Amino acid sequence: MPKLTIDGIEVEVPAGTTVLQAAEILGIEIPRFCYHERLSIAGNCRMCLVEVKPGPPKPAASCAMPVAEGMDVRTDSEMARKARKGVMEFLLINHPLDCPICDQGGECDLQDEAMTFGNDHSRYGEMKRSVTEKEMGPLVKTAMTRCIHCTRCVRFTTEVAGVPEMGMLGRGEHAEITTYLEQALDSELSGNVVDLCPVGALTSRPYAFTARPWELRKTESIDVLDALGTNVRIDVRSGQVLRILPRLNEAVNEEWLADKSRHAMDGLRQQRLDTPYVRKDGQLVPASWEEAFAAIRAKVAGLDGSRIAAIAGDQADCEAMTALKDLMGVLGSTNLDCRQDGAKLDPTVRAGYLFNSTVEGIESADALLLVGSDPRWEAPVLNARIRKRYLAGGFKAGRIGPAGRDLTYPVEELGVDPSVLIEIAEGRHPFAEVLKAAKTPMIILGMGALTRTDGAAILAAARKVADTTGMVTEGWNGFSVLHTAAARVGGLDLGFVPGSGGLDTRGIQAGCASGAVEVLYLLGADEIDTNALGKAFVIYQGSHGDAGAHRADVILPGLAYTEKEATYVNTEGRPQRTKVAGFGPGEAKEDWKIIRALSGALDKTLPLDSVHQVRARMAEINPVLGTMNAVTPAAWEAFGTEGPVDTAAFTTAIANYYMTCPISRASPTMAECTRVFINGNQERTGTDG
Amino acid sequence: MSIGTRLLTMLNGEFVGEDAHGNKYYQERTKRLSNPLYRRKRWVMYKGKAEGSKVPAEWHAWLHYTNDTPLNARSKAWEQPHKPNLTGTLGAYVPKGDDRAGGTRAASTGDYQAWRP
Ligand code: SF4
Ligand code: FES
Repeated sequence: MPKLTIDGIEVEVPAGTTVLQAAEILGIEIPRFCYHERLSIAGNCRMCLVEVKPGPPKPAASCAMPVAEGMDVRTDSEMARKARKGVMEFLLINHPLDCPICDQGGECDLQDEAMTFGNDHSRYGEMKRSVTEKEMGPLVKTAMTRCIHCTRCVRFTTEVAGVPEMGMLGRGEHAEITTYLEQALDSELSGNVVDLCPVGALTSRPYAFTARPWELRKTESIDVLDALGTNVRIDVRSGQVLRILPRLNEAVNEEWLADKSRHAMDGLRQQRLDTPYVRKDGQLVPASWEEAFAAIRAKVAGLDGSRIAAIAGDQADCEAMTALKDLMGVLGSTNLDCRQDGAKLDPTVRAGYLFNSTVEGIESADALLLVGSDPRWEAPVLNARIRKRYLAGGFKAGRIGPAGRDLTYPVEELGVDPSVLIEIAEGRHPFAEVLKAAKTPMIILGMGALTRTDGAAILAAARKVADTTGMVTEGWNGFSVLHTAAARVGGLDLGFVPGSGGLDTRGIQAGCASGAVEVLYLLGADEIDTNALGKAFVIYQGSHGDAGAHRADVILPGLAYTEKEATYVNTEGRPQRTKVAGFGPGEAKEDWKIIRALSGALDKTLPLDSVHQVRARMAEINPVLGTMNAVTPAAWEAFGTEGPVDTAAFTTAIANYYMTCPISRASPTMAECTRVFINGNQERTGTDG
Repeated sequence: MSIGTRLLTMLNGEFVGEDAHGNKYYQERTKRLSNPLYRRKRWVMYKGKAEGSKVPAEWHAWLHYTNDTPLNARSKAWEQPHKPNLTGTLGAYVPKGDDRAGGTRAASTGDYQAWRP
């Protein structure tokens, strides 16, 4: 461990640390543009110059200089300050200085550093260089004249996102950052380059010219558009969500955020349910809460519990599911399910539906088997973790499922149907040896494999693979289920599943069609076939007018995830809570309160009068939900039903990454992304951009 | 108009002119030539209620000693007839979003588009 002095303070750091990192340990911040702790070191902006002794009598770039024994570093000496002033002057030679019309204004590194190291006037009389804007798709807007060539964006797309589509062309004054083909960045993580760009060269296209950072109220919350539970910061002005940015959480998302989670928020203003509706003579008409409850009461009163059913959707929060489960309990119904996609997960064994290895654990895995899962679309940020693991070396991945989509790391295509999984489970497949040889192998089981009718048998086979290849050992559990919905694990934890003799999603749908189920309560469930519900009386509670609302007989307007404080459990089993960032539209109310009020209207009042009581009830059902932000490891018990498997090929769980939930389907930005990325329509019309 | 102003007008007022609204303008009759800097007092007798904003621009200039004589009223084609302050009357200004002005306001943050079946 070399010992060195920085600004007169002695510090001992591990060998290989750079001077900049060592200074950071001491709390000394050295200005930088190109250095980023999650990217490789480029050392090309020269803003981090410091004076180092002993050595040549010139300033040295601290971000690229490893520490050495006995170094004496000065970060604020006359020489360092003068050098940085010079660098700043060079950087500004060609910079347009257009802060008043730049979206980065107020949160720009260059602006901030110029306050300290900038000159009050320029010594250059020549024309500034200008660079044409580059086409980077519907999410990233460019103003390349502002670029300072730090290459953070290039390093991010190549290293983290794994799509080497950006680079620097030309040299010297003619150097330009560009997407080589002037095409949209084909990555689900492209929004992150906007955060990374230290100046306003890359800015968010949907957010362009909307707000200044100091006008926004920031709320730290959780994202629910995929099952990862990314930590986000929601920026709101006048109750409207204007942007969503990632928040640091090493265990979940590091500091990245997927494009859908970042940009689908304009869907929060479209298609909102803002008043209850009741169907009268085949027409949905606006109603008051009392009228809506009365309509439900007229239907439900005296009805046998077995003729009532409930399905919870992909973004239902734990509080609402707790209340609805209890309501179904007092109504005497056991027909409830939170797996609207019909996944054959075993709710009795927690280890059977969790991402047991944890997201951070991916980094210690050394072999990976993907079964019916496409992590690049199902959880892009998690996929970046797998790529990070791959880049670290000594990692082998295999995939059973539809080949074709590049996962940004090499995978061995093992086959497309479940028979390969059986072969691996029985040790007849060469990949079984790979898994056995690995110290910490893992399997990622996707919804593409579990939503089939033979899902239970596939779950059992996957378990067998885990058992026979030593995936579950002391301190390591490589059996990981990758969910596609933020509500799923929470629902399973709460036991929002059929009780004894109850019907599951498929049973409920069949029951509705045949008339066996008369009342169906949809808690934000839109991804089921709502046309096949026969004559059932459908109550839809949710935030958006989507498939469920069109079919409904009574609509109860609920809140979206940015408007309520609600608990969600991510795919690892980590309970996290969203915060209220803005208020909901019109008459919409918090979801658990609606159910509580309805229980009162049905004369079956639930003992849930405050959110504390709801949370206490949640923790009573499952103590795991009482500890926030922590993963409680699950015991490895028997689950899955062995049986014959189909020979049909696995399909992917998500057909279009950009439209998976009512919010993203309502979002104009996501519609534009679908047009460009899914339908491959790269041409832009004359009027936009 | 106070008794004092009336009395002053009667005793020492010299009528200068009358504007389009019927307000009458006066100045002192006395000329104190001994003091070349002395300015003769100028005042207005309002028609109806005393209200400062009733004075049109051309007389305003004279009243405040900007000009020696009142300006020519409406000498330019684009000049609008003078309007007194309309606050509190029916003609008062209301913003576009107000119900009295049709109630259609411009879009702003926080708006949402509601779903209708
Ligand atoms: S566009 Fe931004 S991130 Fe990329 S090189 Fe230029 S300044 Fe750096
Ligand atoms: S931060 Fe060191 S050279 Fe850019």
